[in-house]
Amino acid sequence: MLKPHRVVLDKMSSYTDEAAAFMRRRRHHRREFVRIRFQSGAESDLPSGTPESDRIAEAARRLIEFG
Amino acid sequence: MTWPVCCYTVADENGKTGDGGEMSPADQTALADAASRVLDNLGELEPQLVNAGIFDEARNPVALTDDSGGWSSQAVELLEALKAGSGDEVLDSAHVASEEGEVFVVEESGLSLVAVTGRFVLASLTSYDMRMALRDVARSGVRNTTGGAENEGSGDA
Repeated sequence: MLKPHRVVLDKMSSYTDEAAAFMRRRRHHRREFVRIRFQSGAESDLPSGTPESDRIAEAARRLIEFG
Repeated sequence: MTWPVCCYTVADENGKTGDGGEMSPADQTALADAASRVLDNLGELEPQLVNAGIFDEARNPVALTDDSGGWSSQAVELLEALKAGSGDEVLDSAHVASEEGEVFVVEESGLSLVAVTGRFVLASLTSYDMRMALRDVARSGVRNTTGGAENEGSGDA
């Protein structure tokens, strides 16, 4: 049988794990990305920070602002 | 000995028209009507659709849900940026996400469909609906020019 303080510790670590997973998912969902598929079947996630990616992201952002 | 020979003619739905041919005013009107109808259907299919537009190969708007504030010129800017970002490859579709919303672009049959949606839509479903919408517009154009003998499928996107 587990000692009472072990039960409390297990519960607490379980809650913190859940919270950390929630924050990870939230960060992932809020991540901006530019994903392009080509007619050849290839797919590319343009890395942010490159001129091409920044131009596309900026154009998309303005388009979203126009609504 | 004789061999049975079978021949199929398959419409190239994915290929760009690329012939640069001029459309008659009647064809342009039919294309614009079909595009407007398809955008209406798309709006019903996608509750989170904010704005959308269909552009021809010359980046001229064929139909728009709303062109307030120069939306179409901004969409053309995005199409040009995507073309530049594609390098030597030919763009098929794109998905750009930001914190405020998402933008989808699909190119099919010489037409481009740009759509702005809310955040966290189902990307694959949205792209599929957009592709079907463009094929519907392309079919309508073919139907109009050939007298309606081909592709009498569903009229819905």
